[in-house]
Amino acid sequence: MRDIEITEPVEITLNGELVTAQNGELLIDACERNGSYIPRFCYHSRLTPVGMCRMCLVEVDTGRGPALQPSCMIPVSDGMGVDTESDGVAKAQDGVLEFLLANHPLDCPVCDKGGECPLQDQAYAYGPGESRFVEEKRHNEKPIPISELVLLDRERCILCDRCTRFADEVAGDPLIHFIHRGSHTEVNTFPGEPFASYFSGNTVQICPVGALTASPYRFKARPWDLEETESTCTRCSVGCRVVVESSRNKVLRLQGVDSDPVNWSWLCDKGRFGFQAGNSGNRLSRPLQRCESGELSEVGWNTALDSAASVISAAIAGRGPQSVAVLGGARLTNESAYSWAKLAKDVIGTDNVDCQLGDGLPAELVLGLPGASIDEVCEPGATVLYLGPDAKEELPILYLRLRHAADFDGVKIVEVGPTLTGLSPYAAESVTAVPGETPSVLAALLDGTSEHVEASALLRNASDLKVVIGRANLAEDEAITVQTADLIRESVPGATFLPALRRANVRGALEAGLAPGFLPGGATLAGTLPTGWQSMPAERGGGAAEILEDAANGRVDVLILLGSDPLRDFPDRSLARRALAGAKTVISIDPFVNASAEQADLVLAASMFSESAGTTTSLEGRVTALNQLVTPPGTARDDWMIAVDLADRLGADLGVETSADDLAEEMAGFSDAHVVLGDGAPVGDGVMLDISGRDLLTSAEVEVPPANAYSLRLVLNRTMYDKGTLLEESESSAGLAGESVVKLSAADAAPLGVDGSTQVKVTSEHGSVTVAATIDSRVPKGVAVMHHALGDVDAGTLLVHGDPVCDVRVEVS
Amino acid sequence: MGYLDGFKVTLRKWAGVNTDTGRRVTTEYPEEVRPKPARFHGRHVLNRYEDGMEKCIGCELCAGVCPADCIYVRGSDNDPENPTSPGERFGFTYEINYLRCIHCDLCVEACPTQAITESKLFEFAFTNRSDAIYTKAELLVGDDGRPRQMPWENWDGGFDPAQDTSGWMRATSSGGFAEFEGLVAWAGELGYGVRAPEGGQTSEQAGAEAAAADAAEDEHGGH
Repeated sequence: MRDIEITEPVEITLNGELVTAQNGELLIDACERNGSYIPRFCYHSRLTPVGMCRMCLVEVDTGRGPALQPSCMIPVSDGMGVDTESDGVAKAQDGVLEFLLANHPLDCPVCDKGGECPLQDQAYAYGPGESRFVEEKRHNEKPIPISELVLLDRERCILCDRCTRFADEVAGDPLIHFIHRGSHTEVNTFPGEPFASYFSGNTVQICPVGALTASPYRFKARPWDLEETESTCTRCSVGCRVVVESSRNKVLRLQGVDSDPVNWSWLCDKGRFGFQAGNSGNRLSRPLQRCESGELSEVGWNTALDSAASVISAAIAGRGPQSVAVLGGARLTNESAYSWAKLAKDVIGTDNVDCQLGDGLPAELVLGLPGASIDEVCEPGATVLYLGPDAKEELPILYLRLRHAADFDGVKIVEVGPTLTGLSPYAAESVTAVPGETPSVLAALLDGTSEHVEASALLRNASDLKVVIGRANLAEDEAITVQTADLIRESVPGATFLPALRRANVRGALEAGLAPGFLPGGATLAGTLPTGWQSMPAERGGGAAEILEDAANGRVDVLILLGSDPLRDFPDRSLARRALAGAKTVISIDPFVNASAEQADLVLAASMFSESAGTTTSLEGRVTALNQLVTPPGTARDDWMIAVDLADRLGADLGVETSADDLAEEMAGFSDAHVVLGDGAPVGDGVMLDISGRDLLTSAEVEVPPANAYSLRLVLNRTMYDKGTLLEESESSAGLAGESVVKLSAADAAPLGVDGSTQVKVTSEHGSVTVAATIDSRVPKGVAVMHHALGDVDAGTLLVHGDPVCDVRVEVS
Repeated sequence: MGYLDGFKVTLRKWAGVNTDTGRRVTTEYPEEVRPKPARFHGRHVLNRYEDGMEKCIGCELCAGVCPADCIYVRGSDNDPENPTSPGERFGFTYEINYLRCIHCDLCVEACPTQAITESKLFEFAFTNRSDAIYTKAELLVGDDGRPRQMPWENWDGGFDPAQDTSGWMRATSSGGFAEFEGLVAWAGELGYGVRAPEGGQTSEQAGAEAAAADAAEDEHGGH
């Protein structure tokens, strides 16, 4: 049941008492709100009611005498009489449960749901207690895997239609359905087609019996073993609310919480099962230092921090503070991000700080564009201009929200991007623009000269245009995105923007000042010194690309990788490689020895999700709590503790008296970019930042070379499952990353003789790779799509940072 | 001289005269061992079916019900080719901490497969804490269906491994009703087959007692 505001009150008689309900709402909700819980299996407030299970039968009297009716199908009307506790209702519930249990195997002791099972609970509360059936129960093979992550036990299924409705209505992947008829009806996949949905874990969560179980949680614990805390998912920047559950200091499961403004109880599988990385045996439990033999070996924290502080002091004393650079920080909590911003910009005095790795939006856009929340974007009747990456791959829950908005709430989505995406089937119109040409295509749409008449009309007639803006193509310079935003603001002055950021807490890190030229709270270096600070950098530093360029040219003495892995994540792979080789000392602060940390001189063991408490800020600027449930392995510690210790060794005090909350309070004291949620306050939906009066936007003009007939424009984008460290370390998702391919349109593939799995050589000005080519109907002519951080083929070697676009030639090798 | 009065009791008991029952109750333990009651609660055993499969399915109900929180169980997937127990799940980890166990037998009552029962063995003492935590390998009966003897366990004092395991389970029916006296409702055990029900009360007796109890309750005003 969701809380609603009662706008049209009607009076109904519920078990003899007059109560108020919202006109037209479902009876089952009205009764629950008024203190009378009606048992149910098939009804779920986020799914269309179907009245499958008949458990919610109540006696309804609308003037013609009481009759049993399914309360999940009856809208409330004035003067309705309802009895949820009569003998007739009790008998109906008894009967329904006896039938549901007729074939249920009652293997509760081995069932993962046992102990938290609605069927078990309601059989105890409303059931007959004994069965009259003596016949043999139905037998099926159990369990059968219907995907890599979900197992199906058809014996336990009560055919409530929740999973199938979810797959069809919510996820848009109708890959499971009822098959057969009568007493042979069962839920199953289509032959040979697994339930390969990015959202399959939700079916496990909503299954009211143990018919669907998740393989990562299978037999790991029983419900009464679990300790839980509410928190926020940190696998992307949507900020879904979750309950984290652990047993014996090990996180075992994540469940989505119904947060009305954010995730509506849904989670993507990456978020749901990604916690497994924290339990990986490869977690770093102690700091590592490169010893004389060249190996990384374990050292104590004092040794590690002393040596980190001494190289930093030496760099400051030597070539000055700007020879220290900090890269990363989007993995951190707001508090940790602020502590690192203060350490870098105040204590050390360098402005060479960037929390993004050349794959995000410029800080000016994220901090300066007039913001729109997810709810505002999905508001019924809104018009949305979607310019981001494939939401289904990168921001899965935003995709679910947009999909619902388009399907049910009449939201018109106009998509402009280099390829069609998972959202395209739900968009009013999808306009493809070859990389580099987004601004011109968009300009034509906005001034009415475009041939896409419908899209153009929608955008031009929108009274309150919402824009989702992001980087759909990592091979395209970010300046083109700036130019696009600039164009929209000029043509549609009232437009509001939702930045489609990728990493968990990019927004929070940017608000905390982990970007060149910025101080916490979106203030620039030209502004006043924040309260509690002694100094700020004298001159503006460089972003990720400049930092790496400087490092490659030997101008960076200490490169601090704050939970970042440029060797895997920075789009221009060769620059990242040269930079790590060229930096004098590399310090990595990470829970794992990732590819970049393997080349570091010092690796400091950091804590991870659910091991540290704090807050995080989602892409829409919602500050939500991250709660601690388990302890980090060994002596690994929170990032802010490392910052405080380093500052201490550098002779400064970051102002932490007791906990990270001191940092939160200090930051909230002088900026509107942070809110203190309060100790022990309910997690709730978090608090939206209330930001005003920022004037940060810049404009850009990019000269894009004309496309030539011999080459294709490269689109480098991401897939949900790739070879990133956290996914590789998660037991269940490690094998889910696809193979590297180059995707071509049929029109481009035909002349090359590509027919499905041909090996081709993709060559750009800067490098070449050999990779399998496939034909993809979502790729327009003139474009070649490759995925980032996938497989052994390194698409990042094809491009050079700073080039507006990347042209490649594809030849059959 | 009042303090010597107390010794009179001791001396009387020792001599066996003028006591309530008229006999001496002190025995020369451990040289002399009294037979243990039929439903004595001693250290646990994990039973196996007659075909050698483990009865434990790792459901953790014993751990859930344990008031002393002394049982730690974790389940795991059975290898379909070579299952440890019938069905999908088996007890992968099973530990009982005997420094905590109060031998209340709630675990035995909770167990849906009669995997855990208590033997009559109580003579075991440890010299370190890790010995006190019995692991699954230590609790599980051997291939002959007999419990395994730990070095610190004294089996000399009349403990008969062939008879003194799972006594409690055999004394009651699954529903706990004496009317089911003599009806075997439990699975066979490795090495023993289906054990005979424990003799004792009859359903008539139980029925009469129950009726008397009801009558007594009515006299006191019922409920």
